[in-house]
Amino acid sequence: MFKAALLLGFTLGLYAQKPEALQLLESRCLGCHHTAGKQSGFDLSKREAALRGGDRGPGLVPGQAKGSFLYQVLAHTARPAMPKFGAKFTDAELALVAAWIDSGAPWEKVVTTGPKPSSHWAFNKPQRPEIKGSGHPVDALIVSQGQTEAKPAVLLRRLYLDLLGMPPTPEEIARHGKLSYEQAVDTLLADPRYGERWGRHWMDVWRYSDWYGYRRSNEVRNSHKHMWRWRDWIVESLNSDKPYSRMIVEMLAGDEVAPNDPDTLRATGFLARNYSKFDRDGWMQDAVDHTMLGFMGVTVKCARCHDHKYDPISQEEYYSLRAVFEPYEVRMDRVPGETDIEKDALTRVFDAALDRPTYVLIRGNIQTPDKSNVLTPAIPAALGPALGKVEPVSLPLASYYPDHREFVHSELLKEAKAANTKAAGDPLALAAAEAELPALEARIAAERAKFAVPADANFEDLAAKARELERKAGLLRGHEKLQRAQAEMTAALAGDKPDTKKVAEAQKNLAAATAALTQPATGYTPIGKEYPTKSTGRRTALAQWIASNDNPLTARVAANHIWLRHFGTALVPTVFDFGLNGQKPTNPQLLDLLATEFMRSGWSMKALHKLILTSAIYKANRPASRRLEAEVVRDSILAVAGELDRTMGGADIDPAKGFESRRRSLYFSHSPDMQMQFLQVFDGANPTECYERNESVVPQQALAMANSQLSQDMAAKLARRLEGPGFVDRAFQTVLGRAPSAAERQLASGAAPVDLIHALFNHNDFVTTR
Amino acid sequence: MTTRRAFMSNLALGALLNGQVPQGKAKRVIWLFMIGGVSHMESFDPKPELNKYAGRLLGDTPYHAALENPLVKQNLREVIAGLHKAQPRLYPLQTGFQKRGKSGIEVSDWFPHIGNCIDDIAVVRSVWTTDNNHGAQMQFHTGRHVLEGQFPTIGAWVHYGLGSLNENLPQFVVLGEPIDSCCGGPGAHGASYLGPEHGGVRLDVNPANPLPYAKPHVETAPDAQRRQFDLIRQFNQLTAEQYPEDVGLKARIKSYELAFRMQTAVPEIMRLSAESPSTQKLYGLDNSITKPFGETLLAARRMAESGVRFIQVFHGNNGGAGKWDGHSNLKKTHGELAAQVDQPIAGLLQDLKQRGLLEDTLVVFATEFGRTPGAEGTNGRDHHPYGFSVWMAGGGIKGGVVEGATDEIGFHAVENRHYVTDIHATVLHQLGIDARKLEVPGHKRIDIDYGEPIHRIMS
Repeated sequence: MFKAALLLGFTLGLYAQKPEALQLLESRCLGCHHTAGKQSGFDLSKREAALRGGDRGPGLVPGQAKGSFLYQVLAHTARPAMPKFGAKFTDAELALVAAWIDSGAPWEKVVTTGPKPSSHWAFNKPQRPEIKGSGHPVDALIVSQGQTEAKPAVLLRRLYLDLLGMPPTPEEIARHGKLSYEQAVDTLLADPRYGERWGRHWMDVWRYSDWYGYRRSNEVRNSHKHMWRWRDWIVESLNSDKPYSRMIVEMLAGDEVAPNDPDTLRATGFLARNYSKFDRDGWMQDAVDHTMLGFMGVTVKCARCHDHKYDPISQEEYYSLRAVFEPYEVRMDRVPGETDIEKDALTRVFDAALDRPTYVLIRGNIQTPDKSNVLTPAIPAALGPALGKVEPVSLPLASYYPDHREFVHSELLKEAKAANTKAAGDPLALAAAEAELPALEARIAAERAKFAVPADANFEDLAAKARELERKAGLLRGHEKLQRAQAEMTAALAGDKPDTKKVAEAQKNLAAATAALTQPATGYTPIGKEYPTKSTGRRTALAQWIASNDNPLTARVAANHIWLRHFGTALVPTVFDFGLNGQKPTNPQLLDLLATEFMRSGWSMKALHKLILTSAIYKANRPASRRLEAEVVRDSILAVAGELDRTMGGADIDPAKGFESRRRSLYFSHSPDMQMQFLQVFDGANPTECYERNESVVPQQALAMANSQLSQDMAAKLARRLEGPGFVDRAFQTVLGRAPSAAERQLASGAAPVDLIHALFNHNDFVTTR
Repeated sequence: MTTRRAFMSNLALGALLNGQVPQGKAKRVIWLFMIGGVSHMESFDPKPELNKYAGRLLGDTPYHAALENPLVKQNLREVIAGLHKAQPRLYPLQTGFQKRGKSGIEVSDWFPHIGNCIDDIAVVRSVWTTDNNHGAQMQFHTGRHVLEGQFPTIGAWVHYGLGSLNENLPQFVVLGEPIDSCCGGPGAHGASYLGPEHGGVRLDVNPANPLPYAKPHVETAPDAQRRQFDLIRQFNQLTAEQYPEDVGLKARIKSYELAFRMQTAVPEIMRLSAESPSTQKLYGLDNSITKPFGETLLAARRMAESGVRFIQVFHGNNGGAGKWDGHSNLKKTHGELAAQVDQPIAGLLQDLKQRGLLEDTLVVFATEFGRTPGAEGTNGRDHHPYGFSVWMAGGGIKGGVVEGATDEIGFHAVENRHYVTDIHATVLHQLGIDARKLEVPGHKRIDIDYGEPIHRIMS
């Protein structure tokens, strides 16, 4: 059963586990025969209920398979033949069920041999290995294969592509000639392009996606609008070397730990990205699954329908984890400079329903919750220490009532004033606009009084005034709309053939306007929505648990991702699965060194990069080239041509402008239904899930490099820029970062300048790193 | 979430399928998908009882049990609850039907040409799906409900599972305008976690520019381009001498050779003028109604002939749910749409047959769901996931047979019910692939509803 476990070293122990036959029955039968649904009155979810049976009599008789009704219907020796939906059990499966019933139909069996899952290496804290000698600790743990160090030019190019995502310019090459290797590493880690390059890596892992849905009607169905702020937070956090542990806390619970800091709130895009308009259950699944996959390398999703088959995670534990996320939802808060949140806003999460219960969904089915058991937030016991205390957070006013902030008031007033100017010349509209401004002022005054500390005694008066002014403005606006609707109706009815669509619309507007005039005004309209004044603190507790130095997985998983991206090969090849079904580390001591050093440095990514980059293994000659990621290919073409627009951050750009805009590739919209074709051809990130990029070599890439407007126009530009004596040498220096060999120089001499540049863009060494 | 790093897409597979290139009766697939939901009753599953009880409430007919059938709930997973109704008032057939061919299978009068080929066709009349909205379009290709997200499609798995038959051509090709973003968009021919190299490559039936980056942005004479590709090859070869162990570099040199040939081969495939007048006529290229789809299917045949593995053809994109979505004016719209596709599809079947290609080319005709036996408004039918028709021909599929059945009014699939993945499993089986064995690290193709091949329709 624990196939993978056989590969790993474990201590032996006693532990309980579900018999295989029961797992089989659960996966095939529980969909209909569970506590809530129990077709024919038969419930297979508990032993006593299964023995008792249903409408047709006892279900099974322990010790007597052939005499058990359950076995007979499965073997098709009794009716109704089961399963009703899906294939008949195979002979092997029937034999398994028979043997299980004959052995007494135990609901648990005690296994006395074999590894205990909680002793799995990854579920125990990493220990810093003993380092012998005074050399570089990374190299001390690697058996040297006699590699030699790569030439400085190769190494510098490697560093630039690796850390900045584009090759060095000839000027940069010259500048680095005077620096030591270590100084070069420091310089590049301090370069803001580092945040863009590695930001894209973490956007993969954290599955960045811009909104997607029904584009024709601008209907957001998944992810959310304005996700780019989260992208900018990622880039900035990396550049400022924010501790990774802090990044985790901000992404999972920025709204609880820094409720009034819009910069931090951006981080919660990580959770906002899971939004789904029509599928709250799927949204919750994504939140649970990807939090665990991305930060901890544990695949929990199997436990949604049944206990995990490999890892020690029960179905109940899965849903206890979900309880952490159950209260949260996504909202858009106004940002300075734009009052329309559809156009721009801060997308962030918040706890919307503090008491929303979480149940185990039997067989993962949303229609069959087990309401007998309300779950409290918890983490799977085998994965480390228990969850810390969950403490509710009291939120400040500006957080639970964001439209009460000063800038919102002043911008709304400004807008109302502008409406006055705009309405000039239209007496009815002007009258309405002129009344709306004092009404808005009165509403703001009333709201300020309402939330004043200490209480404002004038609140009742101010509220009455706001009500009166708002009512007056509403009537004027109603009259204006009524007249407009009447005019529309007259126009629609004019002529021989009235436009029935327009008539119907005018009728609707007319009815609405009339209704608005007759509605009694009660109270006044607040300036915006008020949200709960507290947050549950559940996500903070989870985040602190994940980001704790006692968590056995977090640092290892991150270090493994970083190593993968520096070398192209991960230490744990199953980067998203460190569990029992994943592969074990190729060099466990090295992984633990990186993980413990990472934590010791205060979770500094830059320190970890530097540790890796200064090792001899990183600097060694590499026999094979590694293809660059899609974004690096495109950015490099623009960079060497001198055409890259280095503007950082801001709203995502339409990929249709992929050539027009010279911004870096990470700034273009990226979602399942919107990706730049050029990037897709080079295995751009799958926005749904991308823990590791594909690295294919297919003819479509050759066509894109040879034929696209990008490569052809940039080749022409660069050829013009470099023309003159020494062209060939400068072309090689600029595009490939090295001088040509004699044979290359000879080959190049026969080509026209633009053809040479174009050929160098298509050179293996331009789209790869070695 | 794949950890596999394949250098060449066409080397990717075999290794995962017991180290052998799968052998099946079919070598390639032409997958025709009608976007919007074709009425099964007015195509391949005629129901005369609808005429008999036309205008009557379903509850007042002998078939009233259909509405109370537990399948109404069990079968259904709605995206927006209550948006689409079962439509209780029965609506008569909007066209006639006849027994066709030697097999005498009933086909509606809107599809007379396909009707003439019915002895080569196996009609599966008992297909069902779970989404009663157009997410079912993607579901038909991935086997998963749209709410579960995007997954590799049947074409991507075939691409992943089989080696190339012709390295000069993409192996998974998409023709026609794919489904809209409303309903999954490119997800209906995507490869999701298998990686974009396994996704469908969209081609236009336009020899001037049939695929992305197919020709230089700056107009270049063919011999000049040949020289440029030679220059690139020579540079790369110089580097290859320096790094003899660099397999990625070798793969890249090869990919440029393939690209250069693809650049010629793909436009050549789209050069339909190379076909004889009689062949062009067979596909209806001489008629403005049938010409657009006829050209698409003629290109599809040329690709099949040249060794493209999976040709996915869409019909009926309208920038939304699809033209076949006959909520109103069904008689007019379905009638017109059928006229666009009927002759080209029959032409395709005949052409494949006369060339001996039908033996190992599997043609699938599908749609996301059927339409309600009851009327929507005065002259349409609503979405119907409980039972609808899909047909297959060639590639080792028996002709002139009917698999499964819906009830007398076409409401529920009642006999030999097949979820959409049974269609996938059948296609994969005919190609020699076991649908249950498809998985990559971290992902099984489908955990529960992986589908069973329909052995009864195999020859």
